[in-house]
Amino acid sequence: MSDVQRLLQGKIPGAATGIEVKKSICAICDPLTQCGLDLYIQDGRIIKVEGSKENPYSKGTLCSKGASTRQYVYSDDRIQTPLKRVGPRGEGKFEPITWDEALDTIASQLKQIKEQAGPETVGFFAGYAKFFRPFLKRLAHSFGSPNYMTESSSCYQAMSMAQKLVFGRPGGPDIMRADCLLVWSANPFHANPGNGRAIQNAKERGMKLIVVDPRVTPTSALADLHLQLRPGTDGALALAIAHVIIKEKLHDQDFVASYTYGFDEYKEYVQAFTPAKGEELTGVPASKIQEAARMYASVKRAAILPSASSVVHHTNGVQNYRAVFALAGLTGNYDVLGGNLVNPPSFIHTPGLIPTREHDFVQSRPWSDMPPRIGADRFPVWMDIIDEEAQAMHLPEQIRTGSPYPVKALLGFGLNYRMWPDSEGFRKSLEMLDFFVNVDIFMTDTCKYADIVLPACTSVERSELRCYGAGYIVFTQPAIAPRYQSRSDIDIIYDLASRLGLDDPLFQAGLDASIDWILEPSGITAAELKKHPAGMFVPNPIKPQERKYREIDFATLSGKMEFKSKVLEKYEDKSGHAALPVYTPPKYSLEATPELAKDYPFILNTGSRLPMFVHTRTFRLSWTSSLRPNFPSADMNPTDAVRLGIRQDDTIRIITPKDAVSVKANLTGMVQPGVIHMYHGHQAADVNRLFEEDYLDPLSGFPGFKSALCKVEKADERVVL
Amino acid sequence: MDKTIYLDVKRCVGCGACVVACMDQNDIYPEKGQPANRRVYQIEENQDQGIDICYLSVACQHCEDSPCTMACPTGAIRRDAATGGVAVNKSLCIGCHSCAIACPFGVPRYDAEGKLQKCNLCSERVEAGLEPACVRVCPQGALIFDNANSVQSLKEAAAANNIARIIRTQGDGCN
Repeated sequence: MSDVQRLLQGKIPGAATGIEVKKSICAICDPLTQCGLDLYIQDGRIIKVEGSKENPYSKGTLCSKGASTRQYVYSDDRIQTPLKRVGPRGEGKFEPITWDEALDTIASQLKQIKEQAGPETVGFFAGYAKFFRPFLKRLAHSFGSPNYMTESSSCYQAMSMAQKLVFGRPGGPDIMRADCLLVWSANPFHANPGNGRAIQNAKERGMKLIVVDPRVTPTSALADLHLQLRPGTDGALALAIAHVIIKEKLHDQDFVASYTYGFDEYKEYVQAFTPAKGEELTGVPASKIQEAARMYASVKRAAILPSASSVVHHTNGVQNYRAVFALAGLTGNYDVLGGNLVNPPSFIHTPGLIPTREHDFVQSRPWSDMPPRIGADRFPVWMDIIDEEAQAMHLPEQIRTGSPYPVKALLGFGLNYRMWPDSEGFRKSLEMLDFFVNVDIFMTDTCKYADIVLPACTSVERSELRCYGAGYIVFTQPAIAPRYQSRSDIDIIYDLASRLGLDDPLFQAGLDASIDWILEPSGITAAELKKHPAGMFVPNPIKPQERKYREIDFATLSGKMEFKSKVLEKYEDKSGHAALPVYTPPKYSLEATPELAKDYPFILNTGSRLPMFVHTRTFRLSWTSSLRPNFPSADMNPTDAVRLGIRQDDTIRIITPKDAVSVKANLTGMVQPGVIHMYHGHQAADVNRLFEEDYLDPLSGFPGFKSALCKVEKADERVVL
Repeated sequence: MDKTIYLDVKRCVGCGACVVACMDQNDIYPEKGQPANRRVYQIEENQDQGIDICYLSVACQHCEDSPCTMACPTGAIRRDAATGGVAVNKSLCIGCHSCAIACPFGVPRYDAEGKLQKCNLCSERVEAGLEPACVRVCPQGALIFDNANSVQSLKEAAAANNIARIIRTQGDGCN
């Protein structure tokens, strides 16, 4: 083999091979810590990917999903042109149309619906990825609709709500400086690998690690202490930990005396949660509860790493997480270095250590000038606390009932009905819309219900602005031309704004001018960012400061950290939301519904991350799916399997009072006996069908995906499934 | 001593990035019946309370005195002059599976033509001064490309650090 052939064989970049390396970021998953991509390009085509070493978060590495970028970009399932539906909804019969025809049709339909029924009857929805969110929110509000919704209606916002109810301003874990990290139901190794690496590194320098998780994970395997609670009992565990901390006087008495509200009632309430009671309610041994309380409360700096969805995917989720975050206040670990430090967000929920005008950009019309958001009547605390968006979990019902006002049209970007509980119900609601547009990279089942489908491109084919917590910022440029006729979601938004004739100077000025406007307070411009395709460190980063509450009041009604929520006090009589972080068992559980539990004896726990999948986005790739053969499957403890005569890869039926799905059994000790865990979103076995539409946390509207009741049967092998 | 690929078992979390990066580097497509050069195992061990899990990313060990090389009747398996790794010349492979019998680690796999397919230590990359694709991608730094003694020195230094920390915080037990 010649030297050049060997270089080509090894895909070595350089003049000899003509292989060029271009920079981008991965947005297959979107934890707001996007990994940097080095794209090896030959003749305009990606032939290999690697992580960019410049990226301060991913530091040259990728996960299995990002490493699959080439298959993702070149998937045969890519939507190639704008499409117009020609068959019945759901059938999947479409006819290619031009971009002009597609966008003109959308603009005229939306204008007509706005005139006839009001702008609020048009919903705007943002699924994955998150880069276009600020622009879609501005589009919705400039159009006049309050109904900008995102997938954060079932991820992140309820966690944020719990923190805001306690502190006003959420604080993130300062892992690098912590002496003890309390990971409360997160598995960053499979969801956010950079955080995983930070934990491994901190552990090597001696940081103590406590992991609360009903499952065994690589994170729990690394822990000094794993509190393996029953799903949905997080609040009881946190209250029992608080009991020990207060009883042993390990709390920060100065902080509690000076900066908190409602401590005496909280102290009174946790009296009942002795370690023995905690063990009874959660299944965690009393001795471990005591040990965890001492470990967390006795070090100088301790941080809590929450999850964006695990704990709040329970019908009691927000109250449970309030009890957890109260521990940070109790021990004075809120807004301190090495604790849960408050860093204001710069762009798309990410603190980039720069000031921006994002809020002014996205809120182009104040809430007060628009009708109430979807979900306003049902989730008033959301409307009080969550400034960004409507609660999309109410969308299926509002489409169906037309109450309090009809929803006529939906402009979806990456909308997937399988995200909702009773996903089949939402699928049917979609059929009732007058007009439905979905923008996606791939032809999904949801797209099949749309009147018009638009092809979006992937991150490597577009430009997007992202900030990083390390004070780093990137404005990517397309590394390859968009495939087929696909376009960036942002281009689609700007083009639509123009065709809708919106009187909006920033939409008229274009993306670069909008970015200049957003970043104006930081002094960074789009032109400057374009000179740094892999990103750059921000000039003059805001220095992290601790205990800012000494100068500025907590952003709560009392101006203090609230053990007892003044917002919830308002609703205590009307809606029954307890002002203290009161523990109630999940809506369907042995404790709450013992009769139901007789027939449905297993706890159904769904949606925990697998390392190779993120929601539905990489099911179709052979590289990622080869890592998980015999999928879709459900995890089951071997002791339960033996009892039911189920072997590895047998087909089982998971049944709830609502519906049933058939999947392969995956026997693993990662789940406790009595618990069935199943991954979500699969076309062949969509576990969200098993949940009722209103199986929601009444405070946040988040679905209780992580604890319901089910039974399991070995499927009749004669039945072809 | 030549560099080869080591696994820090304590850091491996079974994410599979190494498996995919290898497929991307070497144009391996499972849908065409092409086997992966690297695989990840999750090992579960029952304990008194629950289980312990650990992960192992495994591929050809590039043994110094490789049994597969000895077993190969056609000389298709040779030591690569540049990297010192165990390399396959597919044009000489007759698909007899002798290497499969000889390999104590169960590594050899066969492609759609029945010929031996395995890790070649990314020899073209290594010659160009780059790391093997699996090492380059690993988000936890669990895969290491180095020579055995250097890896051992790192491990030893980490252990020493640990011992020192325990003594600092808990005493040496001699007082």
